Amino acid sequence: MGIAETYSRSRQFVDRRPLTHSLAAAAGVGLVLYLLWVLVSQLVTGQLQIHELGELMWDGLMRGLVIGLAGVGLSMTYSILNFANFSHGDYISAGAFSGWATTYLIAGLGRADIGSLLLVGAGGSVFGGALGIGISTTPLAVVLGVVVAGIGAVALSLFVDRTVFKPLRGEDGITLLIASIGVAFALRYLMQFVFGSDVRGTTSQPPAYSFYVVDGWVRVNYHDMTLFVVAIGLMVGVHLLLQRSKLGKAMRAMSDNGDLARITGIPTEGVVRWTWIIGGALTGISGYIFVLWKGTLAFDDGWLLLLLIFAAVILGGIGSVYGAIAGGIVIGLTASMAVIWIPSAFARAAAFAVMILILLVRPQGIFAGRATA
Amino acid sequence: MTLLRVRDLDAGYGDLQILTDVDLNVEDEEYVTIVGPNGAGKSTVMKSVFGLTTHMGGTVSFDDTDITGANPEDIIRLGLGYVPQNDNVFGTLSVQENLEMGAYILDEVPKDSLDAVYERFPILEERRDQKAGTMSGGQQQMLAMGRALMLDPDLLLLDEPSAGLAPDLVDEMFDKIDEINEAGTAILMVEQNAKEALRRCDRGYVLVNGQNRYMDTGRALLDDQEVRQDFLGG
Ligand SMILES: Nc1ncnc2c1ncn2[C@@H]1O[C@H](COP(=O)(O)OP(=O)(O)O)[C@@H](O)[C@H]1O
Ligand SMILES: [Mg+2]
Repeated sequence: MGIAETYSRSRQFVDRRPLTHSLAAAAGVGLVLYLLWVLVSQLVTGQLQIHELGELMWDGLMRGLVIGLAGVGLSMTYSILNFANFSHGDYISAGAFSGWATTYLIAGLGRADIGSLLLVGAGGSVFGGALGIGISTTPLAVVLGVVVAGIGAVALSLFVDRTVFKPLRGEDGITLLIASIGVAFALRYLMQFVFGSDVRGTTSQPPAYSFYVVDGWVRVNYHDMTLFVVAIGLMVGVHLLLQRSKLGKAMRAMSDNGDLARITGIPTEGVVRWTWIIGGALTGISGYIFVLWKGTLAFDDGWLLLLLIFAAVILGGIGSVYGAIAGGIVIGLTASMAVIWIPSAFARAAAFAVMILILLVRPQGIFAGRATA
Repeated sequence: MTLLRVRDLDAGYGDLQILTDVDLNVEDEEYVTIVGPNGAGKSTVMKSVFGLTTHMGGTVSFDDTDITGANPEDIIRLGLGYVPQNDNVFGTLSVQENLEMGAYILDEVPKDSLDAVYERFPILEERRDQKAGTMSGGQQQMLAMGRALMLDPDLLLLDEPSAGLAPDLVDEMFDKIDEINEAGTAILMVEQNAKEALRRCDRGYVLVNGQNRYMDTGRALLDDQEVRQDFLGG
C-alpha cells in the first residue's frame, strides 16, 4: 500500500508541477527583465549613478551579513530541535544590550555615572557619540562588548531553554513555537522596561575609506569593515566546526536523524546545549555588530529584524546553515536595493516578495535537504 | 554465560501494549534469530532492549546489569550495538562520518576498529567520502552494520538486515553476519527471510502477537511441522 500510494502521489505531483513551475519561472524571468530595464534606463539617464548603486549593494551586503549570521543561529536551533524560535529576535536585542552596556561602561567610566552607562544611556542620560565610541577610538570597549554580547545571549538562551523549552521537549513544533512567541513578548517588554523605549545613538562617526567607482566615491567606514570581518570570520568558524569537529558532526547527525543519533550513543541533551551556546553566541554578536554598524540601538531592533531573518532562513531552506547565509545576503541586498525601483517604505515588503518568488520556483529553498550540511 | 536476558517483558507505545511476557536469552557468542509474522512485535523487542518503547513490566539485563529503562549511551557502553530496521544511516553525513559517530562515546575514533570495518566492508572504504544517503540500500545496510561494529560490541542487534536487498546480495549479507558472529560477536537478528535465518543461526524464537510461541534450535524449528506450516510458508 505504502509504495503504491507514494508512487501515485508523486505521479500527481510530477504531472501537476511543471505548469505552475514554468508559470512562476516565466513570471520571474519577466519581472527580472523589467527590473533590469528600469535599472539600466535609470543608469543611462543618470537618475542613478553607478557609485550609488555600489553604495546600495554594499549597504545590502552589510545588512545581509547581519541577517545571515543571526539566521545561522536560528537555523541551527531549528534543525536540532525542530521548532521555529520566535524569541530569537529578542535574543539579538538582549545580546546587543548586554554588549553595549559593557562598551558604555568601559568607554565612559569616570565620565558618567555607572547607572546611566549600564542602561546604555537610557533617557538620553549619556550618548555614545559623546563618549567617542568606535572601533578605532575605543577598541577595547568594542571588542569586550562583542564578547559580552555573545555571552549575554548564550546565558539568556540557556536560561530560557532550561525554564521553558526543555520541559516542552517532545511536544510538537507548534506548542514550542507558541511558547517562544510568549518568551519573545516577555523579553521585549522586559528590555523596554529596563532600558526604556527611546532610540539612542551609540557610536561617534567612524573614519572611512573612500573608493572611486566609475562616477563617484563609495564610502566604506571602519564599522562596515568590523562587521564584515566579524561576520565572515564567524561564518567560516561555524563551517569548520560543523565539518571538522566531533561536536559539529554530531550536530549534523542529530539534525539528520535524532532517534538514530540517540541509539548511536550521541549524548543528545549535551548536543542541544551546545547548539544553544553556539547559536546564542552568533545571535548576540550579530546584534552587537548590527548596532555598531548602524549606530543606533532600540529595544525592538531584534524583533524588527526577525521577520527578515525568517525570510532569509526559509529562502535558504530552513535548517540549513549555509542556506541561512545565502538567504541572508539575498534578503539584505533586496531590502537595501529595492529603493531603486520602489519607495523606501516598501523595501521590507520587497524582501518578502523576492522570498515568495524564489520559493515558487524552488519550493524547498535554495539549500534544502542539506540539513546543517 | 548469558549476555542478554529479557524476562516477562511487557512493553508498547504510549497506552498501546504490544509485548506480553516476552522471555528471551542470548548467550555469549551465540547467534539467535527472531522470526514471526509482520506486526508480531519483533522490532518492538529490539527497541525495548534499547529503552525506546514504553516499559510496562519485566526486566532487561545485559551482562548481569539491569538495563531496563537505561539510556542508550549507557547501554552502548556495556557492549551492545543496534542496527534498526529503517533509517539506520545518517544520509547527509559521509560514510566515514557515519562510522565516526558509531564511536562517539570514545574520546578518539579508534583507528583499529575503523580499519577492521573497512576490511570487512571494502565498499565502504571506496566510498568513504560519499554521502551515505546517495548509496544503494545494500551499501547503506553495510554502513549501518559497520557503524554498530565501531565499538566492537559483545552483542549486535540486527533488525531485518536483508530487507530490500537484491537476492544475490542477501546471501552476501548473511555471509557477513556469519563472519561477524565467528569473530566472537553474539547476534540477535530479526528476519523476514525466516528459512535462511533459521538455517544459519544457533537458536530461534517465533514471536506471535507480542508473545513467545516457539523456541528451539534453528534446525529443530525448520523441521517442526507446525512451524513450517504456519510461519515458513509450508
Ligand atoms: N512507534 C509506534 N507507535 C505505535 N505503534 C507501533 C509503533 N511501532 C510499531 N507499532 C505497532 O506495534 C506492532 C508491532 O510492530 P513491530 O514491532 O514493528 O512488528 P514487526 O517488527 O514484528 O513487524 C504493530 O502493530 C505496529 O503497528
Ligand atoms: Mg519490524
